[in-house]
Amino acid sequence: MLPWWIQRATGLVLLGYLFLHVRTIHELSRGPAAFDAALARFRSPFFKLLEIALLGAVILHACNGVRITLIDLGLGHASERRLFWVLAVGIGGVLFLAGAIPIFLSAILGI
Amino acid sequence: MTKYLFRVARSGSGGGPRRIDTFEVTLADRMTVLDALFAIQRTLDPSLAFRSSCRVGMCGTCALEIDRTPRLACRTRVETLPGTTITVEPLAHLPVLKDLVVSLEPFFDAWKRIRPALRPARPEAVGLALVRPDSEFGRAAQARRDCLTCGACFAACGIQGINPKYLGPAAINKALLRLLDPRDGAVDERVAALDDELGGVWRCHTQVNCVAACPKGIPLTDSIVRLKRALLQKGKFREKLRTRPDARA
Amino acid sequence: MSRSAVEWCLQRVTGSLLVLLLVAHFWVEHFMSAPLRRGELSYAAIAERISNPWWQAIDIAFLIVALCHGLSGLRGIILDYGRVGRRGARLATTALVAAGALWAYWGIEAFRLL
Repeated sequence: MLPWWIQRATGLVLLGYLFLHVRTIHELSRGPAAFDAALARFRSPFFKLLEIALLGAVILHACNGVRITLIDLGLGHASERRLFWVLAVGIGGVLFLAGAIPIFLSAILGI
Repeated sequence: MTKYLFRVARSGSGGGPRRIDTFEVTLADRMTVLDALFAIQRTLDPSLAFRSSCRVGMCGTCALEIDRTPRLACRTRVETLPGTTITVEPLAHLPVLKDLVVSLEPFFDAWKRIRPALRPARPEAVGLALVRPDSEFGRAAQARRDCLTCGACFAACGIQGINPKYLGPAAINKALLRLLDPRDGAVDERVAALDDELGGVWRCHTQVNCVAACPKGIPLTDSIVRLKRALLQKGKFREKLRTRPDARA
Repeated sequence: MSRSAVEWCLQRVTGSLLVLLLVAHFWVEHFMSAPLRRGELSYAAIAERISNPWWQAIDIAFLIVALCHGLSGLRGIILDYGRVGRRGARLATTALVAAGALWAYWGIEAFRLL
């Protein structure tokens, strides 16, 4: 059940994010100064942490989605759900760290 | 012999407010939850209501929520459960009649919607219709026909809990079994029920709780996914079913 | 193929496309050039990339694919939880399609305003 809850929750979060993202891009229309000011806000540690959380949400949703798609194509065993889920989280976890660590190091620790 | 604490859900006739009664039972190692319920009924509380029939996992009557998991009480040995406190509740997603007894009407309403009975494609035929076990249908049927209609999958399904219109894994599996059967002729009604936007196969979200709960190990999610794929080409699927060769040897 | 079947299929297709598009997007916005790798995203950098009509097309396609997938998912949630009847389902679908169209237009407008 948990994978399904996570899929739904991350889906809604990502939809909400898409809304905010389109709204921010619209700010481009107010010119360079206003936009760069908005971007500066997004460089704060708080926003960087949110960004890492976003990456987490994307990876969870994508990995679970790929798992479901494989089952739907008949390439996965629907009965070995735990193994599958572990693999998806395992691979997802690696991807997450690959993306999150650089962001974390550069933005929050300034490396 | 080990002492077990059973937390059993109780309610009056016709449903009503629920409470948990606690019973202490001493059981031998190989005893089952059903044995415990009989012991409770015989020695501690004769008013405890529960269903059982064959006691050997063949009939599906004793399906219950044991430690919040739908299982057959007669096939759940107490020593396999974690700890010595065991919670027993009626099957989820079904109206409670009394204590551990539920009404299976919603389950069988869905069951009936897919026309579970075999409708002979050639009712005028007089010979015996044979299905060889090594034929395509024979092999597909092997895994799928052991359904006890116990309701465990119905209780386990997360979608069933929120969408009463959903057919449920058992009904969908049965529909597939009938659709694949070369002796069967009722294609259109079943396909219509399965392709339904609000309650058909599309409402399955591959949670796979059903497969985990099925006491017969039926590949339910696989059945549902096969139907989803078949319904992508509904016309061709219907044609294929209508024109398949007869099962007569 | 019934509407539900199309939607089911489309979710898998758009989902798979999104995996690829997102990886590409992540790379483009965070790793494509040295300033980006340092985290120096700016109006200038974005405007330069978006002035190229190919990038515009890719970004717009990305938005539309994401909207299809997300709003279709939302429709799934409504059908599962809402206890909607057939009419309710149709209403929900219309509302989501309308919202999607407006949302897409809103996104595409950003390019014209640059």
